Amino acid sequence: MVAKTTFRIENWPQTIPEFNRLVEATQDELVHFASYRLGNRQDAEDVVQDIYVEAFRDREKRRDITDVRPYLFRMTGNRCTDFLRVRSRRPKEEAMDAAGSDNLFDSLAEAQRIARLRSLLDRIPAREAEVIRLRAWSELTFAEVAIAVKSSVPTVKSRFHYGVEKLRKLLR
Amino acid sequence: MTCRNAREGFIDISNEELSQEVSEVSRHLQTCAECRLQYDAWQEVIKSVTPPHSITASNHFRERVMKRIIEEDSREGARSQSYWGRTKWLTAIFAAAILLFLVPTLRIGIKSPAVTLFAQSADAISKVQSVHITGRIRTLPGDNFELIGENYDFVPIEIWREYTNPPRWRVEKPGRVVVMDGKSATMYMSTTNTATSGGPYAGFVEWLRPMLDPQSILQNELDDKSVLSAHLTELNGVTTAVIRRKAQGDFTNNWLQNKSIQESDHTCIYRFDSTSKRLEGLQVNITLRDRAVNIAEFTDFRYNESLTPALFSLQLPENVITSVAPEDMKLAAVTLSGPKDAAAYFFDSLAQERWDDLLAVMPFDRIDDGFKKHGAGLQVISLGKPFQSGLYAGYFVPYQVRLRNGYIKTHNLAVRNDNAAHRWVWDGGF
Repeated sequence: MVAKTTFRIENWPQTIPEFNRLVEATQDELVHFASYRLGNRQDAEDVVQDIYVEAFRDREKRRDITDVRPYLFRMTGNRCTDFLRVRSRRPKEEAMDAAGSDNLFDSLAEAQRIARLRSLLDRIPAREAEVIRLRAWSELTFAEVAIAVKSSVPTVKSRFHYGVEKLRKLLR
Repeated sequence: MTCRNAREGFIDISNEELSQEVSEVSRHLQTCAECRLQYDAWQEVIKSVTPPHSITASNHFRERVMKRIIEEDSREGARSQSYWGRTKWLTAIFAAAILLFLVPTLRIGIKSPAVTLFAQSADAISKVQSVHITGRIRTLPGDNFELIGENYDFVPIEIWREYTNPPRWRVEKPGRVVVMDGKSATMYMSTTNTATSGGPYAGFVEWLRPMLDPQSILQNELDDKSVLSAHLTELNGVTTAVIRRKAQGDFTNNWLQNKSIQESDHTCIYRFDSTSKRLEGLQVNITLRDRAVNIAEFTDFRYNESLTPALFSLQLPENVITSVAPEDMKLAAVTLSGPKDAAAYFFDSLAQERWDDLLAVMPFDRIDDGFKKHGAGLQVISLGKPFQSGLYAGYFVPYQVRLRNGYIKTHNLAVRNDNAAHRWVWDGGF
């Protein structure tokens, strides 16, 4: 699991040095999250790079946001969803190439395991799957997950619970 | 705890925020085999959707991201740049083939090519014997070296620096020259025929001082907490450092806002020769009403030029008026308890042509005849509440006076007492 950042981001960064520090502190966990979401690191880095640039471009209007880390996960999750939507419209062969174009996985068996993992989460409601990803892939606390998905802690716990139960049935 | 409660609590077991309730779930699992089975199955599900290993960003990912951010920053800057900003300097930035890097990295504790450039630049300058810099600033001839104004014409300025031990230098613009001969600095103002002396670090040249030490110019810039952004680019053998800084000082009263470079939001664009690492150019733009105004530029840097010794000695006129240290000034006839008292004493002395009394607040050995003629017999119409502004350590006292020729003058008199003797002295504004 990617180490959680210990960098406490008090407010939305406003200067280039602050952004440099933000990127340094959060790049690995965002790339990790997006890589498993998209199936390859190259696309993940493109997405995460766009997130940081957007974060910089809109820094003034986000100045008062204090929960920067979960907010970045929200942006990353949304951007990944958009990316997958676009990819799904491409010809099937091309989309498959894109999904497997990076050497993320050490062996065929591992690649299959990841494909199964992603496939499993695709078969439960999207909102439940996203909560599970944020919790299980990135170790966000439920409070952070709630911020990331713009919901309440009880709601995300409930989604997590029902999502796991559905996965359990699928795995039987 | 019931089995139902325990199963509802599974969700929190893996959460780092362990609570009393979670501990109870744990204890329940140790005693209830049925729930333990359920819990293991639950964990197995989570494990099945948890990635087997970590994926980290590639080696140069952060550098790529910061390059994009810096480009974005440059575009933002360009949107507010004047015609000058769209010419070769910023073209070089946009088209930069190699973005060396970054930011005031020293403050955030990481290495970068900027650090390398400082070291190389300092090393390169350590091998030169002299530098002669020519430039121009939008300012008033004869006024202090710090004053700037968007509507002022460009005034030429020259700097000579000799890398001897001790160093010697000279800074000159029309109406004002400062020479440091290795021991002390002397400033001569030809418009008032006055001279002031001080130690080698007397603040006569204000913000221009870094230009006297081009080997550490970027280091000084990046150590400055007012820096908003800084980045280096390299193109066609020229390394460009663009440093944006916010205005410094307290502008509760904005009198000094945009009257000096330090007290303006501004961008310094330094050009270094990529091979020799020597500074080759500097342009300073201040930001006014969301547009950039070119306020100063130094375009000619001549290294190892033979400098005549006469440059570093100043021949003052015989009748020059010299400065007097505050502790050596004569005492005022009354106690001056604050800036307004000092201003009142200054104007009363002028009004009544008490020139000796005037020397109790003007730190000179005598009063210039032109100054006497200008102020003699004036009438004070009003004195306002003193205020401070920007970085200035003294006070400004708003005033309105009627001069003998009938002209009504409205301005702010500068007075200060931040000297060792805490004497109130006139510092300009008349």
